[in-house]
Amino acid sequence: MFRRDWTGRNPVSKCIIGSLVMGADSDPGAPSAVPWRKVLYERQPFPDNYVDRRFLEELRRNVGVRRYRYWPVVREAGLVTQQLSCVAAFLTLWWYMYQGQLYPFTLLLAGLLCALLGYGLYEALGGPRTEGRTRLADLQSAAIFLAFTFGFSPVLKTLTESVSTDTVYAMSALMLLAHLVTFPYAQPSPPGSLSLNAALFGSVCLASRLPGALHTFAMVTCALLVFALWPCLLHRLRDRAPRGFPWAAALVSLGGIGGLASQSPGGAVLLALAQLALTLLCPLLLLWLQEHKDNIHGPWDEAEIHEDLSRFLQ
Amino acid sequence: MVLKIFFPRCCNMADSGLLIGHWLPGQDSAVVLAVVHYPFIPGQVKRYLSQLQNESRVELAVLGSWSMPKEGQEGMESFLRDLSTIFPRGRWLQLSREMGKRGFTCQVVHRDGELPRGEGENCKGDNGDGGGVIFIHYDQRKSQPLFLTDKYDDGPLKLTHWQSEGREASIIVELAKQASVPLCLLLTWLLSLWTWLCSSRLLNLPPVRLVSSKLSTCVQLSYRTEHLQTVSSPKRALGHAEFMRKANIFVSFFVDVALGLLLISWLYRENRISRLANTLVPVADRVAKELQELLQWLMGAPAGFKMNRALDEVLGRFFLYHIHLWISYIHLMSPFIESLLWYMGLCACLGLTFALSVLSDIVALLTFHIYCFYVYGARLYCLKIYGLSSLWRLFRGKKWNVLRQRVDSCSYDLDQLFIGTLLFTILLFLLPTTALYYLVFTLLRLVVVLFQGLIHLSVDFINSFPLFAMGLRLCRPYRLAEGVKFRVLCEEPGKPLHLLMEINPLQYGSVLQWYRTPTYNCYPKDSWAALCKKLFVGELVYPWRQKGTKTD
Repeated sequence: MFRRDWTGRNPVSKCIIGSLVMGADSDPGAPSAVPWRKVLYERQPFPDNYVDRRFLEELRRNVGVRRYRYWPVVREAGLVTQQLSCVAAFLTLWWYMYQGQLYPFTLLLAGLLCALLGYGLYEALGGPRTEGRTRLADLQSAAIFLAFTFGFSPVLKTLTESVSTDTVYAMSALMLLAHLVTFPYAQPSPPGSLSLNAALFGSVCLASRLPGALHTFAMVTCALLVFALWPCLLHRLRDRAPRGFPWAAALVSLGGIGGLASQSPGGAVLLALAQLALTLLCPLLLLWLQEHKDNIHGPWDEAEIHEDLSRFLQ
Repeated sequence: MVLKIFFPRCCNMADSGLLIGHWLPGQDSAVVLAVVHYPFIPGQVKRYLSQLQNESRVELAVLGSWSMPKEGQEGMESFLRDLSTIFPRGRWLQLSREMGKRGFTCQVVHRDGELPRGEGENCKGDNGDGGGVIFIHYDQRKSQPLFLTDKYDDGPLKLTHWQSEGREASIIVELAKQASVPLCLLLTWLLSLWTWLCSSRLLNLPPVRLVSSKLSTCVQLSYRTEHLQTVSSPKRALGHAEFMRKANIFVSFFVDVALGLLLISWLYRENRISRLANTLVPVADRVAKELQELLQWLMGAPAGFKMNRALDEVLGRFFLYHIHLWISYIHLMSPFIESLLWYMGLCACLGLTFALSVLSDIVALLTFHIYCFYVYGARLYCLKIYGLSSLWRLFRGKKWNVLRQRVDSCSYDLDQLFIGTLLFTILLFLLPTTALYYLVFTLLRLVVVLFQGLIHLSVDFINSFPLFAMGLRLCRPYRLAEGVKFRVLCEEPGKPLHLLMEINPLQYGSVLQWYRTPTYNCYPKDSWAALCKKLFVGELVYPWRQKGTKTD
């Protein structure tokens, strides 16, 4: 409470800290008959920017800094790794389709199987249901996805016909990168708008290069599974079964690397290296940097109201 | 206070006599209007003045005496002084000229036995010591009280004042004035009949009204009616502005009709109408053919652009079919075009503006297909732009908050995001195709609008140009005064200051600005930036813009 009286309520007070300290140092011979009080509502025989020697006593360092341990950080970093792997897996699938080595029916069937399994697992894990979300609503959503994708797939197929392949690749790469950058790793369910949209845009661009409308449909459905539904399941898994989560992440990562290895071993090696760096080196870097953290807090911070104000807000 | 005497320039060299004019109450200044020459009988002068005063309701008085020295007229001074006793007033001015000098002197005699303010023969103190006199010479133009009885000095008195250059034509003017009253009445009656016809219920049905408000001929007709109503009202114009408005409308109407008759005399000779009709149909055909070729070009790969093939083909076929319809319509019309043109040409006898309006309407009707294309293209493009802008917000996880008029963040459902992104992708990739069609048809439309705009501008120019005011400014600049300016005429020590008051005529620009007849504004109301913005987002620019646009 006392702090709030002194600093006022705006961040501007931070800017005048310098002059306040100067005032304290440059004016040692102030009349000391009246003790100085840190209030602005009284007229005192001191200049407005005067503070006394007790000013820096309230300085505190690294108040809210958390000390991390290595293995939990590695565990969390697994989320990033597996997302990278997801993208790699999707690209591998697309490449197979593009080469004609994977039939859309196969992919659709596999996708359906995965979706059913995933949905079963999701329900089995339990947990709070989103409000107003019944099984019927889920079914409705699924129907909408399928119907729209199926209906639009001929349009999507001809969409980028006249755009050069390089442009499409560049655009997709950019969008998938944007997906990785903006993915909300801390709170992956529901997936953030921008990341999901970027991923869908990129996958639609890629899917439109495929030879047939059914291919496009299968690819977009696959993108939906990988980028929209899988993060939901993973989040549920992390919440409800913390033990199973690292295994799932590792499995997906390995799956991504393995899939890529079947098409281009060099790319797989690169991906594996990147994942290793992300999982093992980046946490080390974080821990090392954390020790150098120097955060100061003090009376110049913005005021925080600790009282419960809910009774004023009816 | 300095006594100001306004002295007409025409009386500078007048013979000696009495000064007639009036005092401006409260301003310590006198306006001299005329000089009555010797010989006169004082009783006659008084009677004459009272008669004038009754007729003109301007207070006239004998201000003083005027002496112009001539050989054989010495010794007038005492006589003039005596005159002041015959015409009793508060102050008596005694102006006299000396031979060979430019300025003249003034003596003010007060009636109530005070000493004369001027000392001796000179009036000192023109440097503001309280009793100075300033002469302001002015050009006398049509002094109303004296001109009411302009009898060319055949009365009992001899006067010097400004003479008009002659009123020989005044008989014709008077006759015209007399004749104009029944003419005006007849015209008013005809006009009321016409307006009654126009306001009948059949012509006020919404579709008829809509069409007539878009046809420039109808708009011009309504403006001409309004103008004629103004001119033919038998009431006298009250103020200067109203009089000028009437005169301007009258003159420009006559010029317009004269130009129209000229056009008719040119058009209806040597079989020009049928030649025109014979060229019109091939021209329309040619335009349609060119459009067809343009569409074929657009349906390929125009200027190296790679457009969406499917959409391109759909749009191209749609527009081609439209042109096909148009060509058949033109061919159906072609036998009647000549007679139609013949009758329409008769419109020109109502004025050149009508002929131009009809031309504008014909152009509008003949390029209706371009207008249609423009509307389709603009609507499609507008839909795309609005869809893309709102889907782009969805793409970023934002939405437009209608209540607060700002963009808020919003968490969408999974299916909303999915469908939104799908549509966004589709719209984005189809945008170049639509935009190209829109661009081409907008350019075509702008060419037509530019042509029509030029015609409308010229019609508006004829309608609103203040011909009468311009002519007045050219021939009688003093009638349109902006103000007065003073020039020092003669400044000698010991003599009153002589100033020349000249009329500052109105600038030509201001004449245009003041006396322009207000017309319907055919100029675009948007600024260039607003127009470009509208073109960019695909709103319809001209015409058929929604009047009461829904805001918010």
